[in-house]
Amino acid sequence: MLRFDIKNWSMEKRESAAAYMFISPWIIGFLFLTLMPMATSLYLSFTDYNILDAPVWVGFKNFEDLFQDPQFWGSLKVTFSFAVMSLPASLILGLSLAVLLNQDIPFVKLWRTLYFLPSVLSGVAVTLLWVLLFNPQVGAINAVLAIFGIKGPGWLHDPNWALPSLVIMSLWGVGQTMIIYLAGLQGIPTDLYDAAKVDGAGMWRRFRSITIPMMSPVIFYNLVLGIISTFQYFTQAFVASQSVGSQEVGGPVRSTLFYNLYLYQSGFRFFEMGYASAMAWILFIFVLILTILIFKSSPMWVHYEGELRGRS
Amino acid sequence: MNTTSPLQSTEHKSIGLSQQKFLIKAFTTFILGVGAIIILIPLVYMIGTSLKNKAQIRQDTLNPIPVTHIQVEVNGKQEPLYMVTIDGQTREMAHIKNAPGGIGLFVDPANPDDVYELIIAEQTPVKEVDVHWENYQEALTIAPFDKYLVNTLLVTFIGMAGMLFSCSLVAYGFARFRAPYINVLFLILLSTIMLPRQVTLIPLYIVFQKIGWIDTLLPLIIPQFFANAFDVFLLRQFFMTIPLDQDEAAKIDGATAFQRLIYVILPQSRPALVTVGIFHFLYAWNDFYEPLIFLHSRQNWTLAVGLQQFNGLYAINTHLIMAASVVMIVPPILLFFFSQKIFMQGVVVSGSKG
Amino acid sequence: MFKKKHVLLVILIIATLAVSSLTFAQEPVTVTIFVGLGTGTSPEQIPPQEALQERFNSTHDDIQIEFLIVPNESAHDQLTTMIAGDNAPDLVGPNGVSTIAKFLDNWADITPFIEADQFDTSDFYPLALELNAYPDLNTGLPLGLFPSYIYYNVDLFDASGVDYPPSDFDDTSWTYDAVRERAMLLTLDSNGNNASSPDFNADDIVQWGYDDSWASTRELLAPWGFEGVGRPTNEDYTVAMANNEAWVQGLQWYSDGIHVDHFIPGVDGQAAMASAGIGTPLDGGLVGMFHSHTWYLTELGFDGLLFEVQIAPVPFNPAGGRVAPIHADNFTIPENSKHKEEAWEVMKWLTAPEQIVDVCLIYGCIPSRQSVSDEFRAALEENFPGLDYDVIFESINYLDAPNHESWVPQWGRAEDTINFAGNLIVTGENTDAQAVLDEANETIQGLLDEYWANQ
Repeated sequence: MLRFDIKNWSMEKRESAAAYMFISPWIIGFLFLTLMPMATSLYLSFTDYNILDAPVWVGFKNFEDLFQDPQFWGSLKVTFSFAVMSLPASLILGLSLAVLLNQDIPFVKLWRTLYFLPSVLSGVAVTLLWVLLFNPQVGAINAVLAIFGIKGPGWLHDPNWALPSLVIMSLWGVGQTMIIYLAGLQGIPTDLYDAAKVDGAGMWRRFRSITIPMMSPVIFYNLVLGIISTFQYFTQAFVASQSVGSQEVGGPVRSTLFYNLYLYQSGFRFFEMGYASAMAWILFIFVLILTILIFKSSPMWVHYEGELRGRS
Repeated sequence: MNTTSPLQSTEHKSIGLSQQKFLIKAFTTFILGVGAIIILIPLVYMIGTSLKNKAQIRQDTLNPIPVTHIQVEVNGKQEPLYMVTIDGQTREMAHIKNAPGGIGLFVDPANPDDVYELIIAEQTPVKEVDVHWENYQEALTIAPFDKYLVNTLLVTFIGMAGMLFSCSLVAYGFARFRAPYINVLFLILLSTIMLPRQVTLIPLYIVFQKIGWIDTLLPLIIPQFFANAFDVFLLRQFFMTIPLDQDEAAKIDGATAFQRLIYVILPQSRPALVTVGIFHFLYAWNDFYEPLIFLHSRQNWTLAVGLQQFNGLYAINTHLIMAASVVMIVPPILLFFFSQKIFMQGVVVSGSKG
Repeated sequence: MFKKKHVLLVILIIATLAVSSLTFAQEPVTVTIFVGLGTGTSPEQIPPQEALQERFNSTHDDIQIEFLIVPNESAHDQLTTMIAGDNAPDLVGPNGVSTIAKFLDNWADITPFIEADQFDTSDFYPLALELNAYPDLNTGLPLGLFPSYIYYNVDLFDASGVDYPPSDFDDTSWTYDAVRERAMLLTLDSNGNNASSPDFNADDIVQWGYDDSWASTRELLAPWGFEGVGRPTNEDYTVAMANNEAWVQGLQWYSDGIHVDHFIPGVDGQAAMASAGIGTPLDGGLVGMFHSHTWYLTELGFDGLLFEVQIAPVPFNPAGGRVAPIHADNFTIPENSKHKEEAWEVMKWLTAPEQIVDVCLIYGCIPSRQSVSDEFRAALEENFPGLDYDVIFESINYLDAPNHESWVPQWGRAEDTINFAGNLIVTGENTDAQAVLDEANETIQGLLDEYWANQ
């Protein structure tokens, strides 16, 4: 191990050393398994790389082309629309379900398992299942709507409804988000609630002043990860657009051409790996900035019981 | 059962505390029940579809129960059977041909020369329940699923051990220590998942190929021992919700940082640890994209990869995919169901005021 | 003089040389065959391919083959990664023309091999040889063909009293106008009115007359008589011509068929067809005529059909010509393969008269060797009785060259652009074929210019 005279180190130095030591497994893995591919893809984003031949340096050309590419902007629009529709919905829905499932009701374990079940299925199976359900002629969704006298739309076949169909499909799998909230709720000390009840706080007041703040670290987690994963949404859109037989990636007529789907198409279908890498890094920077903003805002609304003061 | 409190001391208060609790529970159960129906409908379809053959899936998509249209032999050919109403009488007749305008030609199988022209849509097809349990056998035996299972278990459990070990360490480092640039490092950690996998795939493949790990399970297991952003992030958030006083007390008693992790932090983090464990299990269980690229020979495949083979270019075997998926759900669900006990025990009663 | 140890040394040297030459000479080369981009990945197709592998390996000492069969979903990415990682397989297939065009820069030219062996290609259909031969690059020996024609539902024709499509290839009355006429008589609403009747209710259609929904847009338009047939550019790929007169006419015909005359199913109709029968356009009994290829026979669920099916030639186009778009499969050798010579031997074996019928039966294609067509015809008669097999074999002679899947610069993007145009028409977002193809043409011209600028 280290041979220097640790006893003479200051408290701060010892603390820093401990920190780095605990973090070291990740740093090692990062240096060897993550940094290299990331750096390579950054390099590739400045090249023309068709996989077979060696990359050719082209400077910022990929980025210039991207900003003039209507499909780039189109795919951004699709992705943003999806994010705006699905992120708030899944956060609120997940939290609400977690609160409900945190009650002491009979068979609560069964209820929790049931709600968790959909998120356990593989993405491909889920998508194929919903393609059947969404079929405008014989799918269950339109059949149920018909009971209420509503003529259901073409769902995945209709350019205006394909995206909402995917949102609905993703909300069905809200179980994972819900579980995290549940774990968070379980971690709130009950004596806080008892004290509040004694002070006369009603249910809603308790929720607002205890539950939400104590849950804020977990809400924070779900928000950041929700943003990261929503902008990388891929499998379901890919499988769905292939399954409706329009021979289009991101169909119909590109209404579900997500950013990541167009990225994949450019890289692996058009063999424009440099272009795809440029797209990836634009996404990266965008998400990074968004995450930094959320982090910066966190002291205002995220409350940690065990937070250290004076962090650097 | 009426506990009086300042709020409820007057008799004019209309709802007692226990009644309030009951109402809340009833309301909750009701909402959950409605939601459960929404959750269940696709699941019922999934199971139903897994028990149908290809023809049934298309012919009767709407009915989750697998049924077949009964057929009878008429003049040497199999024809579908209907319950038809003629002159107020209901009989069983076979539909032999189509005519324009939605008309069908029907005959009594016993008397095939007597042809009746009736509107098809007004007749009721005679169906019987026809469950295809053999789909499960077919799905599981048409490919070496037992090998896939072994591979998947190896990847999942060894990976989980590695993940829990490394992520606890790393999250602890981020949560409980001050160090220069530690926030920057945390941001870098998070940023590793912001780059879409597709563009790091080829460089990563080349790395693994150079060290000879392609077509083995190593690329799926070893990286888990070096922590990952998702689980470190979650654990870090959890660790930071644990109040510092027990740490301080332990420090005063002379515990090292590592001992504080083992004896103070981890015992209080059971819900979080169970959560990341389950999530990792799910992720490893269902992940197919990278395994598909890194594994070549069929005997090295995992379950999720094996599932993909039912999705051919010209033959999407939905019934087999559903059957295999139903089977694949069972272990994660059992794991989740039984791990809830640990979940519940995570109710923390901290010894100090907030 | 000759001491004992000298003799021993000589014996040792000779022995070493002998052993090492034996070892090196006997080590067989393994040719990896990558299957997954096209057909061949279904669980039922794996045992016969393994049997084929056994058959080759047991009769060859110096070369062994190994099938690497991967799920279709990821085959594309897997091949790309393998090539990028310098781990390319030795033989890839069966590939359609589109797959070959997509990866065009990756394939080795087999012309030197043909010349070195003085390989006799006269048994192959001459047009088939053309399909995968580009000016500087012959990508492989043809394996199988999938000619196309019109499948039609005899019962529906009978029920509406409409004349069948003619089986005589010389009958010039069978044009797209004739198709439209008969299709409209076959298109019915729920009250039994056909599309030519004034009482026809277009919101309640229960049966359509014609469909071609499984064709890419280039395939849809290839039969219409453009001199470039299925190629959206001029001969040297410098000028985009996707909005040529013949294609505009064809696309407008299809557009009107969906949105004006209603004899072709639109998006709702396609969903209906996909949920009737076993889910292909014809078998649900909702469509009178469906244009497709020989591979459709295996998809159709032939044994379970509730009606009689028959086939007829593709109609004549307004220019008086006839084009029956074809799909063709062959195996190709990646340029990066380390065993190209051996892969060539395997390629010859797979397409040899002794094996080609069995190989084609696995993959569902018509063998591209003329000498075995009778043998294959017998197999067809056994599996799909009652069809007019002449139509299948005669349609080969009308194949589209340049093929609708053939290479153009920036193939992937060009395909995407044209298919997008076709989908605009089908979904009804834009029903003006001229406008849609003009826009597509502009994009394609941009792609061509970009390509040539980088050469």
